[in-house]
Amino acid sequence: MPLLLILLLHLAVAVLLPSLVRAHGSRAFYAASLPPAAAAVWVLSHAPGILAGSPVEASFAWVPALGIEIAFRIDALALTMTLLVSGVGAVIFCYSASYFRSGAVALGRLCAVLLLFAGAMLGVVTTDNLFVLFVFWELTSVTSFLLIGNEDRNVGARRAAVQALIVTSGSGLLMLVGFVLLGEIGGTYRISELVSAPPTGDPWLPVAVVLVLAGAFAKSAQVPLHFWLPGAMVAPTPVSAYLHAAAMVKGGVYLVARLAPGFADVEPWRVLVITIGLATMLLGGWRALRQSDLKLLLAHGTVSQLGFLTLLAGTGSRLAAIAAVGALLAHGFFKGALFLTVGVIDKQTGTRTIGELAGLGRRMPLLAAGAAAAAASMAGVPPMLGFVGKEAALEAFVPGHTPQLPGWASVAVLLGIAGASVLTFGYSARFLWGAFAGEARDGDRAPEAPSRGFVLPPLLLAAAGIVCGVSPALLADPLAQGYASGFREGSYHLALWHGATPALGISALIIAGGAVLFWKRRAVARAQRAMAVSANAEVSYHMFTHAVYTFALGVTRRAQSGSLPVYLGIILATLLALPGVRLVVALVNGDVDLPEPGQGLRLWDSPLEGLVAVVIAVTAVATVREHRRFPALILLSATGFALTGLFVLHGAPDLALTLLLVETLTTIILVFVLRRLPATFSTRPNGWMKRLTVLLCAAVGTLIAALLWLMTAARTDPPVSRGLAEQAKEAGGHNLVNMILAEFRALDTFGEVIVLATAAVAVSSLVLLNRRNRVVEEEPDETEEEHA
Amino acid sequence: MTPGTDGSPPEGWEAPRERWLSTAVRPAFGPRSVLLEVVARLLIPAILTFSVFLLVSGHDRPGGGFAGGLVASMAYVLRYLAGGRHELAAGVPMRPNGFLALGMFLACCAAGIPLLFGQPVLDMPAATVSLPLFGDVKFAGYLVFETGVFLIVVGLVLSVVAALGARMEAEESEARLWRGRRARP
Repeated sequence: MPLLLILLLHLAVAVLLPSLVRAHGSRAFYAASLPPAAAAVWVLSHAPGILAGSPVEASFAWVPALGIEIAFRIDALALTMTLLVSGVGAVIFCYSASYFRSGAVALGRLCAVLLLFAGAMLGVVTTDNLFVLFVFWELTSVTSFLLIGNEDRNVGARRAAVQALIVTSGSGLLMLVGFVLLGEIGGTYRISELVSAPPTGDPWLPVAVVLVLAGAFAKSAQVPLHFWLPGAMVAPTPVSAYLHAAAMVKGGVYLVARLAPGFADVEPWRVLVITIGLATMLLGGWRALRQSDLKLLLAHGTVSQLGFLTLLAGTGSRLAAIAAVGALLAHGFFKGALFLTVGVIDKQTGTRTIGELAGLGRRMPLLAAGAAAAAASMAGVPPMLGFVGKEAALEAFVPGHTPQLPGWASVAVLLGIAGASVLTFGYSARFLWGAFAGEARDGDRAPEAPSRGFVLPPLLLAAAGIVCGVSPALLADPLAQGYASGFREGSYHLALWHGATPALGISALIIAGGAVLFWKRRAVARAQRAMAVSANAEVSYHMFTHAVYTFALGVTRRAQSGSLPVYLGIILATLLALPGVRLVVALVNGDVDLPEPGQGLRLWDSPLEGLVAVVIAVTAVATVREHRRFPALILLSATGFALTGLFVLHGAPDLALTLLLVETLTTIILVFVLRRLPATFSTRPNGWMKRLTVLLCAAVGTLIAALLWLMTAARTDPPVSRGLAEQAKEAGGHNLVNMILAEFRALDTFGEVIVLATAAVAVSSLVLLNRRNRVVEEEPDETEEEHA
Repeated sequence: MTPGTDGSPPEGWEAPRERWLSTAVRPAFGPRSVLLEVVARLLIPAILTFSVFLLVSGHDRPGGGFAGGLVASMAYVLRYLAGGRHELAAGVPMRPNGFLALGMFLACCAAGIPLLFGQPVLDMPAATVSLPLFGDVKFAGYLVFETGVFLIVVGLVLSVVAALGARMEAEESEARLWRGRRARP
C-alpha cells in the first residue's frame, strides 16, 4: 500500500537529512518537504473515492496473537487531518528553509526530527488499530520533546520539553489503559469496528472512555493540563507553527472526533467534553488577551481554539461534526499563517513584543495583508473559513438543533461560545494592531524586507482560508459531509449565507462585542491586572513534580544506604519472613507431607562426601572469622572448590568443570580488586549486630536446608529429565546438560548470553567510565619503563 | 633475600634475561619471574587448544561453549599475570567488544537463519561426514551457537580483566610517573 511506503519515505528521508543539511545548509528543508507533499498529493488523488463513502483501507499482520495489525483506513476525517498534517506541513518545511540560518545549532537533527514527527503524526491520523495509534501517538510525544528542547543548552527549553513530555506521554499511558479496556470489552482493536458497533451497556465502558479522554485532553492542552503548551513555545517558530497549530495538539481533537460517532452517548463523555472544552476556550481567550509577546498571544489563543475544537468534535451531533471539520481546517490555515507571520517579524526585526514593534504594516504590506486575512478568519469575520465554521458551530447549539442536549445546556454552551468568541475577536485585533499598526518612530532601525520565499508560505495559508471560506463547496463542505455521514441525517451545509438565522445575529453581536473590547482595550487591561490569578495549573504541576522528586529521594536515601551487609540482611530477612513463615505455618498445620524415615535422609553415599562437607564447613566458618581480606578470599575460594568436589562425587562433571573454571576466574579477578583495598576489613559488626547477623544467617541456612529436604521429597510427577534423556539420543548427543543448553532450551541460553554481553559492557563501563578500549589500544611507551 | 623497597627485584632474583613473552616488560604484579613466563609460554597454546576441544566435544562429553570460553579466557588471564597489560594487548586478536560483537553475531545467526528457511528459531541441522584421518565427524549447526557463546564468554572475561586489572595498572603507572616527575625538579 502506498501509504506505508510514504511513511517509510518519511523515515528514509529523515535518516538522510543530517548529511543533507551538512552539505546544503537549510535548503535541505525543501527536500524534507517532499514526503509530506507526497502524502498530501496521494490522499488528494484518492479524495473523490473517499468522499463518496469508500475509505482506502489496508492492513498487515503484526502481532496476530494479540490481535494487533498495522491497519490503515483513510476516511473523510483522516483525509481532513492528512491534508492539515501533510499539506500544511509541507508548506511549513518550505518556510523553514528561509527561516533557519544554515549554521544554526543542530539544524540537521532538528530537520530530521521534524520530519519524523510529520511521519508519526501521519501515522496517528491514518491508522485503524488502537495499539498502532498509541505507538504513533507516543512517537509524536517523543519527537516533540526533542523539538521543543532543541536548544539543549537553554534551561528553559529543557524544562518546557520535559514538562510537555510528562504531561502528554504520562496521560498517554492512561489512554493506553483505556484502549486496552475498550478493545477487550469491544472484542476488537479496530477503531472503525469499535465506532460502528460500540459495546454500550458494558459497565467498564465509562471508565475506558474517561481514560481515553484524559489522554486526548492532555495532548490537546485542555484545562487543567493546558499549561504545557505556552511553555512549549520556546521551540523555534516553524516548529511551534507545525506542532501547535497544524499537527500535534490536534491529535487529541482528532481522537475525540474519531471516537465521537460511537461513544458520544456514553455517560460522562458529553459532560466532560463540553464543560472542559468550554472552560479551556474561555480561559485561553482571557489569557491571550493579556499577552504582549505575539507568539505567546497565539499560544494562548491556540489553547482557546483547541477547547472550541474539542467541544465541537465531542458533542456528537451532525451539526457539531460539520462545524468541527470546518473549524479544524480553518484553525490549521489561520493559525499556521499567523505563526509563520510571527516568525517573519521575529527574524526581520529581532523582537516580537507588541510594545517594541511599530510601523511594520507599511514596510511589509504583503505580510500585513496575509496576517489580516488570517486574523479575520480567527476572529470569525466573513467571508473567511473561520466565519463559516463558527457560524456552523453557533447553529449547532441553537436550542433544538442538537437533540442530544437539553435546551438549557444548549443555551449555556451557546453563551459560552459567544463569550469566548468575543475574546477571540479581541485578541485577534490586538495581534494585528500590535504587530503592524503604528508609525515608525525616528531612529528606529528599519527592518530588512523579508525574501519572497519567506513571505509566500504564510500568504499561501491565509489564501487557503479565504478560498475555502468563499466557496466551502470546494473542499471544506465535502470533507465535513463525509465525516458527518456517521451521524443521523440532517441537511446542513457549510456556506457563507444561510439567510437571516439566529446564528447570523449572534455572529454580528460577537463582532460588535469584540470591537468594543478592542476599543476599550485600556480598561480591559486594567481589569485583567486587577484579576491577576495567583494560583494556576502550572504551579500545581511544579508542586506535583517536586513532591515526586522529594518522595523518590527519601525512598532512595532510606532503601539504598550503600551498605552491602544491610542489603543482604534485607534480602535474607525477606526470605525468612515470606517463604519461611509460610513454611513454619504449613508445618504446624500439617499441610506438608514429611518424608518418611529412610526415604529422604542418609548420611552419605560415599565417605568422601563427608570429607568435602567438613572442608566446606571449616572454610566457611574460617572465612567469616578472618580479619584480613586476602586470606578471607583464599578461604572463600577453597569453599567454592570443595563444592566442585561435591558435584564430582554426585556424577555431574559438567557442572563441576564449569564451577571450577568460574571459581578460578573469580578468585583472580577478586585479587585484582583486592590490590586497591586495605589489607584488613576495617569494620566488622560487633556486639548485638554480630549476634543478629549470626542468628539471621543460621536461620536462613536452616530454612534452605529444610526446604531442599522437603522439596526433593515432595515430588508428585516423574522428573522431566527422563524424557530429555530419550530426546537427547534422538538429537544425537550424549551430554544431557549441553543438549539442554544448546538444543532443548537454546532460546533461554540465547537470552542468557545476551545478558552476559550486556553485563560485560555495563560492568566495565561502570568501572572505567568508558575508557576500557584505551587500555588495549595503548602502545607500550618506553619513558614509562625508564621511570618505573 | 630481602625484597627491594621500591618494587625492584630482590638480591639474587632469577630475573629472565631472554624474551619469553611477546613483550618483555613489567608484569602486573611484582617483578618478572622466569618460571611464570616460561610456564605461560609453554602452556598457553595447550590451553587454547584444550578450550577448542571442550567446545567441539561438548555434544557428547563435558565441555561446551561456556566452559571452553572460560578456559580460553584463562589463557589470556595467565598471559596478563605473567606479562602485564602490554602482554595482554599483544596477545588478544581483537578488543573485548569485538569478541562480544562477533559472539552475538554468531548466536543471532544461529537463531535467525533457520527462520529464513521456514524452520523454528534455533532449529539447526546436523550431519555426519566421514573424513580421512578423522573418521566419522559430526557437524552440527548448534556448534555455531556454541561458538557464539564461547566468544561472548571470552569477551566478558577480557573486558572485566581490562577493567579491573589492566586499567587499574595503567592508572597506577601513570600515578607513579607523575610522582617521579614531581620528585625530579
